[in-house]
Amino acid sequence: MRRYGRVFREFFRACFVEEMEYRSEFFGNFAASFFGVGMALLTVHIFFYQTDDLGGWTYAEMLVLLGIFNMLRGFIDFALRPNMPRLLEHVRRGTLDYILTKPVDSMFYVSFRHLVFWRLIDVALGLGVIGYGLYIERYVPSAVDVLMFLVVMAASLLLIYSLWMMLMTTSFWVVRIDDLSFIFDSFFETARFPGSMYRGAVRMVITYVLPAVLITNTPALALLGKWSVSTVLAALAVAILFLWLARRFWRFALRFYTGAGG
Amino acid sequence: MVRKYIALLRMKYIEMLAYRLATFVWMTGAITQPLITMFVWMNIHPEESESFLFYFMAVIFVERMTSAWDVWELDREIREGTFSNLLLRPLHPIHWAIAENIVYKWLFLVILVPVWMVGAVYWPALRPHMTGSQIGWFLGAVVLGAALRFLLSYSCGLLAFWVTKVAAVYGVIDVISLFLSGRIAPLEMLPPQLREWSEWLPFRYMISFPIEIATGAVRAEELVRGFAIAAGWLFVLAAVLQWLWKAGMKKNQAVGG
Amino acid sequence: MVIRVSHLHKSFRVHRREAGWLEAVRSLWRRDYRIVEAVKDVSFTIEKGEIVGFLGPNGAGKTTTMKMLAGLLHPTSGEITVGGFVPFEQKAEFKKMMSLVMGQKSQLIWDIPPMETFLVNKAIYDIDDRSFRQTLEELTELLDLAPLLDKPTRSLSLGQRMRCELAAALLHRPQVLFLDEPTIGLDVHTQENVRRFIVDYNREHETTILLTSHYMGDVAALCDRVMIINYGRLIYDGELSVLTEKLAPYKRLEVRFSRLPNISWDEYGEVAEMEEGTVVLRVARETAAGTAARLLERFDVRDINIEDPPLEEVITRAFQEGVYGS
Repeated sequence: MRRYGRVFREFFRACFVEEMEYRSEFFGNFAASFFGVGMALLTVHIFFYQTDDLGGWTYAEMLVLLGIFNMLRGFIDFALRPNMPRLLEHVRRGTLDYILTKPVDSMFYVSFRHLVFWRLIDVALGLGVIGYGLYIERYVPSAVDVLMFLVVMAASLLLIYSLWMMLMTTSFWVVRIDDLSFIFDSFFETARFPGSMYRGAVRMVITYVLPAVLITNTPALALLGKWSVSTVLAALAVAILFLWLARRFWRFALRFYTGAGG
Repeated sequence: MVRKYIALLRMKYIEMLAYRLATFVWMTGAITQPLITMFVWMNIHPEESESFLFYFMAVIFVERMTSAWDVWELDREIREGTFSNLLLRPLHPIHWAIAENIVYKWLFLVILVPVWMVGAVYWPALRPHMTGSQIGWFLGAVVLGAALRFLLSYSCGLLAFWVTKVAAVYGVIDVISLFLSGRIAPLEMLPPQLREWSEWLPFRYMISFPIEIATGAVRAEELVRGFAIAAGWLFVLAAVLQWLWKAGMKKNQAVGG
Repeated sequence: MVIRVSHLHKSFRVHRREAGWLEAVRSLWRRDYRIVEAVKDVSFTIEKGEIVGFLGPNGAGKTTTMKMLAGLLHPTSGEITVGGFVPFEQKAEFKKMMSLVMGQKSQLIWDIPPMETFLVNKAIYDIDDRSFRQTLEELTELLDLAPLLDKPTRSLSLGQRMRCELAAALLHRPQVLFLDEPTIGLDVHTQENVRRFIVDYNREHETTILLTSHYMGDVAALCDRVMIINYGRLIYDGELSVLTEKLAPYKRLEVRFSRLPNISWDEYGEVAEMEEGTVVLRVARETAAGTAARLLERFDVRDINIEDPPLEEVITRAFQEGVYGS
């Protein structure tokens, strides 16, 4: 476990150095992140220009939700998104073999080898927005709130990782489409908003078929003090289940790959 | 020239067929954001749900009919050097882009119109109530919107001669366009300052204006004014593109190829 | 004369890449430039129907010169005319009378059959139906294209693609053909086919051809006349036979012994390399075979190889020992 911590640090360092090569992009990236958050805030502002609550959530609560969405998306862009097209290339070219012979778990390597360091700015900005939202709401989370929040965030991160990993694994079979990441993006877009906002048949779909909203809503509710132990445990259980599924799927894909190709 | 276009269109059509699956998948991706936005508005003003349904379905339709991805194509071609191949031939490269745009818009039309018609059977809210002349103005506005978006996209693509992250520049413009073209909210729902800007900038005429015509939100004198502003932007963007092309050719001949 | 180049210069401004934090921050508002001279004072003329080889190591300026001839690059100074046109003006009539084939960059559209690219070219170059049919028939026969035309380009091998590429470039019967590394990456068999085709086509249509290449084989098969460019300067312009005689009047003899004899090699030739059990000798052309025979006779030779010197060596030699001919 410790060893993987070290390996991750190495990936981080390597990509950090690589990024530093392109210094002129530094400011551009900073600006892009700020601009992105600014526009997201403007969007929420426009909605609340016409109303006071969205599915029962106030403006401040929406900000917290937005902050969490931004943080999670920052993590995705930092670690997961850069690796998706590369895996596809590896499968196409057969260079996955090199990775399989390395003494590191292949799934770990393939998910974290390339990190886009500056996306962590999005995570930081997300935290800032959360703070701002809490400030407006005049709500100070208790220690237990924060604990629950961290647990549920961890669960959300695990779940995102697992879903993303499963999507990446399909590239073993779907070689024609260049970048599958927009599938996850479309799915995750629904998570910008509270689940309670959707109504009718759509609500059913959002809750039972594509419950992306839970990924963002649950941590937001936790931080705002509206958590329950059963929900937190359920979130953890689902996350661990999906992680297990993702691993099984990856193993299955590897067997397919080494059996057929190579 | 007509013969050249026929040959180009034919070739782009066959090429498009080779990309059937990818195109379909990308199309579904373009639907998510307007749909979610629609649900938000339905939640804010449930009593207007029907008009929101029509509006956002119309956004999806008009957005596809005016979409232009030349900025990414050009960016790639210039960076990879395949743009030189087009420059060696005695036909201006822009015609290739125009032909591709026509072929794909035709494809979207063929897919979306039947889908809309089927939808209109189940949801009366989708049934358009347009007079003959309204339909004419609507189509004219859509074509104008498509032209505007193409000119903007191609111009930004030409920036690849100078800038490496063209996609980022276009991304900024596109996000601004989200607000001012009516994709986040029908323009009448926007705060007055934004509504003011949207009147004078080209983005409204890319998406919202045709829809305003279709819903009857635009009255006679506003119609004329709208087309006038749109036409004005058409000339401006065309001039910008001309200028960028000349400058780009000079730059390319100095360093690239 | 079809191609005339006079005192051609091309230089590029290249940004200086700095290491270190401070320099990088500084570079955001002030850039240091360095001038790279890719082509220096190059002059030559090419007559109609000639096939001329344009040789030189990587980065010598071959591709830059060719791009200027094709109109893709604007010279820094000097004059070029090709077929009476000034290339960088990029007139439509100029483009219709010339063609550039780049070994690395294909003009064939990837996902659809080459035939479709041909049809597009037919329209773009304003080729009438009859000429198109005739030319296509001729090219299909010469290049053996019949089974290839209806398969998507991506499913063709590199060699098949190159043949279709050549056809696409010649559909409009250009008077001038520029070939940039046409046989790069191709297998020996296809290389030979392509060379044979170029020779036949040139003989039939008197097309003026300028080709760049790394391969001595291309040059030997196709060019009577070669121009050698190195570090942007034209250091040789003349017949190939003269060049080989003057610059490479030797052969490489690579001999592998079961045990390396400890002798003075001077009576056999000049030692170029020596390692393990192998010796590489430079031997005068005329005596190469004889020397090989003597070595075989006198020693226990495992393997022996007689080769022409590699192109790189010829050019390096040319540069070291001065400019020959002109």
